[in-house]
Amino acid sequence: MDTADIETKVIQFIATKVENLDASIINPSSKFEELGLDSMDTIQLLFDAEDAFGINFEGEEAKGFRCVGDIVSYIETHQVAAPLIKNEGST
Amino acid sequence: MRVVVTGMGVVSPIGTGTDQFWAAAVNGTSGIQRIRGFDASSQRSQIAGEITGFNPTAFLSVKYIDQTDRFTQLALLATRLALEDAGGLDAYAPQRLAVSIGSGMGGFATFESSAARKFRNQSIPPFTVPRTMANSAAAWIAIKHQLKGVNLTCSTACSSGANAIGMALDLLRTGRADAVIAGGAEACVLPLTMTGFEALHALTTGFNTDPVRASRPFAKGRDGFVMSEGAGMLILEKEEGAKQRGAKMYARLAGYGQTCDATHIVMPDMDGQVAAMLAAIQDAGMKPDSIDHINAHATSTPLGDIVETRAIKSLFGNRARDIAINATKSMIGHTVGASAAIGSIATIMALYTGTIHPTINLDEADPECDLDYTPNLAQQKQPRNGLCNAFGFGGNNASIVFTTLE
Repeated sequence: MDTADIETKVIQFIATKVENLDASIINPSSKFEELGLDSMDTIQLLFDAEDAFGINFEGEEAKGFRCVGDIVSYIETHQVAAPLIKNEGST
Repeated sequence: MRVVVTGMGVVSPIGTGTDQFWAAAVNGTSGIQRIRGFDASSQRSQIAGEITGFNPTAFLSVKYIDQTDRFTQLALLATRLALEDAGGLDAYAPQRLAVSIGSGMGGFATFESSAARKFRNQSIPPFTVPRTMANSAAAWIAIKHQLKGVNLTCSTACSSGANAIGMALDLLRTGRADAVIAGGAEACVLPLTMTGFEALHALTTGFNTDPVRASRPFAKGRDGFVMSEGAGMLILEKEEGAKQRGAKMYARLAGYGQTCDATHIVMPDMDGQVAAMLAAIQDAGMKPDSIDHINAHATSTPLGDIVETRAIKSLFGNRARDIAINATKSMIGHTVGASAAIGSIATIMALYTGTIHPTINLDEADPECDLDYTPNLAQQKQPRNGLCNAFGFGGNNASIVFTTLE
């Protein structure tokens, strides 16, 4: 998956997790607080993202995440050969 | 100072909302089924009273669902129903509104699922601790309804809900609150928790293929309790405040007694039960002769039902056989920390409607259980003073007296 694919998937994922948030207003530079997430909301989002994308954020690194692009970059550098997005109904 | 019940909310395996619950209880409906919430094929006890069709998204946002355990969600629904029933508590200052909740296990659904993840070296949900902690239901009730007064949680195993209601009575009597949301909530139809109770031989195992007959307090052939989940909430107010705001009143909460056996961590003791009932009756300013209805603890364990029967006979003497006794657990199973809260609602409804719901599955009583347990069919009988019993692990005994308003 290239950066654009991951970006799209992450933005779609965030839109499903945050109520009343339209995917169209999310972009890689969107800071979590700009999306209405407080610090605990962000921690919950990152946990949910781990399950959704089949990854495991290293604790110290995830602490530094400030914006959507940080998640995208992490997935991009840590992605493995297996499909990253769960629950797609594909093989 | 008199304390009255002005609202009730219940979420149970036989119905959500007091009307649905009470109609099912009077009809003798069983809510016990084979477990659906998880694969119970390896459990010795494979049946339970589950809240099927429970949908927290109907009243909680996704964010709040992420932050709450199932027992809190059940508590929040029961609270909402109770507050609607009471017509709201806007008449009082938020700092004068208290919450007193009982739960035996707290957020054990979260505990079990997070533990399973941890043992697989997976991350665990960030709200694992605030979801699991016993006081999370009370805290969330306060958050959702802006109740800024005293906020207490009582965890005394199966008597938790009764003690929470008793603590609420004390809060009102001592002037620490003007109104209290009091009750209990539990959601531990779970593999580890049930295995723990199985290990103590506390759960029924002989009715896995005939679940509706499994919870059979006082009956021959009973072999343990049926694990169940649910929540019950009362709105309690000082009578003068309730009258001032024109509230509907169901009954008086007149007395509360609590004792500890101080004998064994799980085995019941008759003397402790007698003392708790007597303390509650005396606290209500009554004598045992005044009690004409008992909502028994009656879990359907071989020993527990006999000990409670002996305790009732010891306290009430020859009058014991004249008292209309019943066992709500025969229909809903054992909701642990919620059981006395739901039992209190059944007691209040008996006083309010003049109907004693039946104890089902009581075709043939245990010879050592020889009182009037209202077998199988509801009785039209107007009780004046009802006692609700709750006895829990730790040797905790709690009894509550409710009376009609007259």
